[in-house]
Amino acid sequence: MKRMHIITALVCAVFITLGGNSFAAQSKTLNLFCWSEYIPQAVLDGFTKETGTKVNYETYGSNEEMLAKLLPSKGKYDLIVPSEYVVEALIKRNKLEPLDMSKIPNFKNIGSEFKGFPFDPENKYSVPYMTGSVGIVVNTEKVKDDIKGYKDVFQPKFKNRIVVLNDNREIVSWALSMAGIDINDVTPATIEKIKPILKEWLPLVKVYDSDSPKTALLNGDVDLGIVWGGEAAILYNQDKKFKYILPVEGAHRFIDCIAVPAGAPHPDAAMAFINYILRPEVSKLISEAFPYTNPNVAARELLSAAELANPASYPTGNPKLEIFRDIGKNATSVDKLMTDLKSH
Amino acid sequence: MDVRTIPHAEAPAGRRPGAAGWMLAAPMFAWLVVFVIAPTVILFVYSFCQRDEMGELVFSFSLENYARVFDSTYLYIFWRSIWYAALTTVLCIVIGYPVAYFIGRAREDNRNRLLMLVMVPFWTSFLIRTYAWITILKSEGLLNGMLQLVGVISAPLEILYTPLAVVIGLVYAYVPFMILPIYGSVEKLDNALIEAAFDLGAGPIRAFSKVIIPLTNPGIIAGTLLVFIPSIGMFAITDLMGGARVKMIGNVIQDQFTGQARDWPFGSALGITLLAMFAVAFWLTTRKQTDVPMG
Repeated sequence: MKRMHIITALVCAVFITLGGNSFAAQSKTLNLFCWSEYIPQAVLDGFTKETGTKVNYETYGSNEEMLAKLLPSKGKYDLIVPSEYVVEALIKRNKLEPLDMSKIPNFKNIGSEFKGFPFDPENKYSVPYMTGSVGIVVNTEKVKDDIKGYKDVFQPKFKNRIVVLNDNREIVSWALSMAGIDINDVTPATIEKIKPILKEWLPLVKVYDSDSPKTALLNGDVDLGIVWGGEAAILYNQDKKFKYILPVEGAHRFIDCIAVPAGAPHPDAAMAFINYILRPEVSKLISEAFPYTNPNVAARELLSAAELANPASYPTGNPKLEIFRDIGKNATSVDKLMTDLKSH
Repeated sequence: MDVRTIPHAEAPAGRRPGAAGWMLAAPMFAWLVVFVIAPTVILFVYSFCQRDEMGELVFSFSLENYARVFDSTYLYIFWRSIWYAALTTVLCIVIGYPVAYFIGRAREDNRNRLLMLVMVPFWTSFLIRTYAWITILKSEGLLNGMLQLVGVISAPLEILYTPLAVVIGLVYAYVPFMILPIYGSVEKLDNALIEAAFDLGAGPIRAFSKVIIPLTNPGIIAGTLLVFIPSIGMFAITDLMGGARVKMIGNVIQDQFTGQARDWPFGSALGITLLAMFAVAFWLTTRKQTDVPMG
């Protein structure tokens, strides 16, 4: 999904210190900083055509990479697409510009269940862009067992047949769910508790990949995966043998939001862009290219029956889903634990 | 690299660079200051700082980062990176030396054509070449398909996402950097010296080990530095071909800067430590080089 970050990282490794302000402030530009493989070029072109605003599009592969580039560069980016717990952390530290809702009337298209999340209760700073879940994908031609949860995936017989996201917070949250601990209750004590679970799980994993976990599944290198719902939806579209399952123990529901960083040079263009992509017909283009769960209910009405029936995009039933909260400095313990476990 | 040709004793005074010489060298010095010295100084300063919860830099002096570098987890990763890089270097010598020798001894008009073949892969992006290897090595990939077709194996070999794949990727990426400097040495090799060795009764093995190897040693050492140092820090190949299962020190450092850990001070401490290791390694190899008896 987000391959570009390796190239950017290679460049960054050399030029970390040179991340200065390379965009001259012009009236008709918008500096968009978004996940790679998350916004179709047609949408950007459409916006430019309509408003004459040139869009400078830069991509990142993880929330952390985005923060690494955003925080040292004040006044460079106009729009970012952080996930829910990052929105929360940014708000806490006054790193986001309040949105001017009078310029974003299309906010009404967002479904009520996607408004007022605890990380931004009044939607003062953020608007949901795409949402989704992290769940299990099974190649049903190779795996005949009835897979229901993490417990069924991480079995010794599936050693070297599993791909998981290369994301420490995600992996730790699965182990927390398995142990019956709230996925946001990340403390040194709970981390110590789940250590034995992860010690058992990690040696079974063949590939860690957050960018394109579908590749290993499509190539036949692995038969099971715990991946982003959108990736699973693409797999399902290519071949119905890939089944998406939300773990019974509970799963992470991510809410990627669009927000304006503090000190953005072109806030007006940013508001105009947010309003533009909230139009049903524009939002539909995004959904068609990247089949995540679209919070824009007006856009959903324009989607085909097949798209809406994709269980990885729009899961049915009553799955146990929870969003991530900002865990502050405990994130360091998560990272330390995973580095430790992966080293031996 | 070739120290033999530098006359140590009598550099005539008139050959000291004048103002014009310094002017010509100025762009290089500027480049070094901006892209090597300044970033290293910044890295050095950062390595004694701390980070706040968001990962932003806090300028308060601390030795904690260096204490963490010597934590067993990271020492083990350092050790493994050195081991992989050493293995890569040895394999590059084993594969690259005969190639370089062959090219260097080929007819003159053929040499450039053969050298061109070594360079051709550089016309394509490194990432694309790495993805090509994924296509070759994957379970349902070209290699397994071919071997199964011929009947050599019945079940696909598991190569991709293993340490073997990482070493294949590293050797593939760096073997040209071994071939080119060795070629440079082989090309200069004086045939008369080899003939003399044979005339004086040396067999092929002795002629090779006592004459050819020492004479091409500068090339081997240059190649070793060019392969060993970048392969220690490489992280893209470990991620893509190793499935990010096995962390190398390059991956850990990348994690600290743009990856999940986002701890610039710790990443800087790791970087400075690596730099110090390279400096020591460089000093050791170049010192050894001047010790080698020539001729």
